Amino acid sequence: MAEDQVDSRRRNFLWGVASGLGAVGVAGVAVPFVGSMMPAADTMAVSTTEFNLDTLVPGQLVVIAWQGKPVFVVHRTEPMLSRLKEYEYKLKDPESLADPRVQADWMKTTEQRMTRSIKPEHLVLIANCTHLGCIPLFKPSPGRAEWGSSVPEDWPGGWHCPCHGSLYDLAGRVIDGSPAPFNLYTVPYKYLSDTKILIG
Amino acid sequence: MVIEKMLNSRLAQWLDERSDIVKLTRAHLTDYPTPKNLNYMWSFGSLAMLVLTIQILSGIFLAMYYKPSAMMTSGGYSVAFDSVERIMRDVNFGWLIRYMHAVGASAFFIVVYMHIGRGIYYGSYKGPRELLWIIGVVILLIMQGTAFFGYLLPWGQMSFWGATVITNLFGALPVIGSFLQELLRGGFAVGDPTLNRFFSLHYLFPLLLAAIVGGHVHALHVVHSNNPTGVDVHEGKGTIPFHPYYTVKDAFGVGVFLILYCYVVFFHPQLGGYFIEVDNYVAADNLQTPSHIAPVWYLTPWYTILRSFENKLLGVIAMGASLAVLFLLPFLDRSKVRSARYRPVFRQMVILFFISVLVLGYCGHSVPTPTLKLIGQLATIYYFAFFFMLPFVHKFEKTRPLPEEI
Amino acid sequence: MKLKQMMAVSFMLGGLFAALPGHASEGHGVALKHADIDVTDQAQIRRGLTVFTELCMGCHSAKYVTYRDLIDYPETSLSREDVDDLRGDKPLIAGMVTDLAPEDAKVSYGKVPPDLSLIVSARRGGADYVYSILTGFEHDPAGHVPDGNFNEYFPGNRIAMPDPLSWLGHDAADTADLEQQALDVSAFLAYISDPHQNERRAIGRYVVGFLILLTLVFYLLKKEIWKDIKH
Ligand code: HEM
Ligand code: FES
Repeated sequence: MAEDQVDSRRRNFLWGVASGLGAVGVAGVAVPFVGSMMPAADTMAVSTTEFNLDTLVPGQLVVIAWQGKPVFVVHRTEPMLSRLKEYEYKLKDPESLADPRVQADWMKTTEQRMTRSIKPEHLVLIANCTHLGCIPLFKPSPGRAEWGSSVPEDWPGGWHCPCHGSLYDLAGRVIDGSPAPFNLYTVPYKYLSDTKILIG
Repeated sequence: MVIEKMLNSRLAQWLDERSDIVKLTRAHLTDYPTPKNLNYMWSFGSLAMLVLTIQILSGIFLAMYYKPSAMMTSGGYSVAFDSVERIMRDVNFGWLIRYMHAVGASAFFIVVYMHIGRGIYYGSYKGPRELLWIIGVVILLIMQGTAFFGYLLPWGQMSFWGATVITNLFGALPVIGSFLQELLRGGFAVGDPTLNRFFSLHYLFPLLLAAIVGGHVHALHVVHSNNPTGVDVHEGKGTIPFHPYYTVKDAFGVGVFLILYCYVVFFHPQLGGYFIEVDNYVAADNLQTPSHIAPVWYLTPWYTILRSFENKLLGVIAMGASLAVLFLLPFLDRSKVRSARYRPVFRQMVILFFISVLVLGYCGHSVPTPTLKLIGQLATIYYFAFFFMLPFVHKFEKTRPLPEEI
Repeated sequence: MKLKQMMAVSFMLGGLFAALPGHASEGHGVALKHADIDVTDQAQIRRGLTVFTELCMGCHSAKYVTYRDLIDYPETSLSREDVDDLRGDKPLIAGMVTDLAPEDAKVSYGKVPPDLSLIVSARRGGADYVYSILTGFEHDPAGHVPDGNFNEYFPGNRIAMPDPLSWLGHDAADTADLEQQALDVSAFLAYISDPHQNERRAIGRYVVGFLILLTLVFYLLKKEIWKDIKH
């Protein structure tokens, strides 16, 4: 060994550069691999869904798929809308302020924050319970007549989640005492015409 | 030194008390005594491990999008073919991962063939390294199986007809032939069941391979590395610790390899039809065979041996024997001297052997003509003659004097 | 040392085999015409797209290319309006599929025209082959094959595709124009057979450049460390 001849500064420098570049290389390799797990171009391309509101009769609910997720679309009748106000005192977050996911850009007025729709009659929301993601059952008529003890006596009409019993009113607002923390999340959508909406 | 610091850290000590991890790292990686005169031919071992890693990694990510189904879709394509095209077109960086995998398969064989050639030339297969060599041949066979299964997956014309031809080879065997054939195909022809089981096996085999490579390295560390002179090395005198000497040398080898590999991946991923064949961009069609069908380049030497015989059964047997005889190599060669450097006769024989394998490969890739067939037969004869001559060479060969020390 | 040289030579020989263009991509006798195309040239690819949609798509599809891709790929980057014109009432996410039903094609031409998404990768000679076929319609010198079905470059010379550019018997004045159309559509097809190829080459330059730098540092480090060892 010729220890005396070793230029340890040069040696340390080269070790440093080699390790540094090596680390950059490894990080670079991670980019395409992690990137490949993100949604592919064709998956992104189907990220919008058109829906024809004509197909709904007043009072009806449909569940449609958007980006593979279920979405509620409800045509709310006058009486349904009128009941929204009465039970407000029982709600966790009547004005949908608690979380960004329960809000939307177009929610400009208090009215819109409470009815949670662009046009009051058409409600469009993510159908997953904000607790752990089950799809709540639609129980629109008030009281227990149709639903038995699955809903409280003063049931305003809305959704009941079969998994752990969360309750939502007809604007998808969560009723106090439910395990679900938030109102049902909103979905970006816009009207293409009076009878057609584009979700996403 | 960073590595020295890491090995002395409290975390490492804590782990070591419970798992021997530091002791093992020192014994097998950092302090592992290695002959000081290894040349760059010894880099191909670590390169093979690198390529295996590349294949497993890229394969796992391909499998996230690949769909093994021969069900037809529009335009004469299949679900499997469509899923590969989706990887190429829609999946983020899918094209890169697929090309890494397809080019990686060829790179794997280049690296492993060089590694094996090194072993033959320097007599690394000779005692005490016989078991190490045998494990290596097992690795080669499993690799070939893996590549064969993988090649079916894109479900192109070459996939389909390659698998048809090779499963028919098994069918040529007496007694068990048709049983084996149906076992591989899961039907009367290559079809959807074949594709499904090949995908399953294509996923399994590399994991087996990884385990066997572990055994290969373990066996190596019991008997230690050979070296270009082939003489035994005594610890301390002729050896140096693996780290940093061979870690940096191998790192340089890895760098050179990656430059070549990435150049092909990014600029010539099909390598003019050698790495991904032109006909494999045509969807599998069980009613029409491509005009020229040959296996991918790394299987062509064996394919030529097969074609050199008029009789199908003989061909299949010869092909099997050409691989099986590799297992016997350590026992056929009786010379006391390992390295071809000191064995003038053996050296000529080995060089000719390498040339014959290249010639076999060339013939197997080309459209058969009578001349090529003859050349292929001559190369086949020499291939076997090499092994037949080995037990006798030492009787008349005058070896050159060996050095005392390396 | 001898071995090293030998290995180097065999490596180079291997590389040479691989590099021989005529070998793996061996054609069928007739030498193809060279298609001087540029798959990075947006104008050429767009012109080729027009030829494709107006002529080829009468019979052929390119099912792996969706209308949306024509907007998203930088090499085409059409506007939404242009794509709406092209697609009619087909969905944006549909592949470019011909209106000619496979059964009808079989009746008219005896064969279903192949999908062209991958044609340049799937034929020996690639874009040269496509270009040669399009400009290879001739009168059969032997007089067996009817006009419009004889093609100098098609294997066997009898092609089921009727001369799409009306090359046979065209006015000499139109030659340049027809050749240009053939080139443009070859460029388009070469592009769509591997739509990330330009991105791939662009990234590749950085990757290989980086690796050369890295390897150089490894080399210097190796030299430095190995000074310790007396040979
Ligand atoms: C010993 C290591 C391996 C070798 C030699 C190998 C070889 C091959 C080959 C030759 C192909 C056909 C390439 C083409 O033309 O596209 C292929 C395809 C494929 N392999 Fe592997 N492979 C290995 C490991 C793996 C592993 C561990 C996986 C994980 C599941 C995997 C998953 C795939 C998939 C999904 C395909 C089909 C996609 C495609 O065709 O590109 N491979 N492999
Ligand atoms: S998921 Fe709905 S209450 Fe738990």
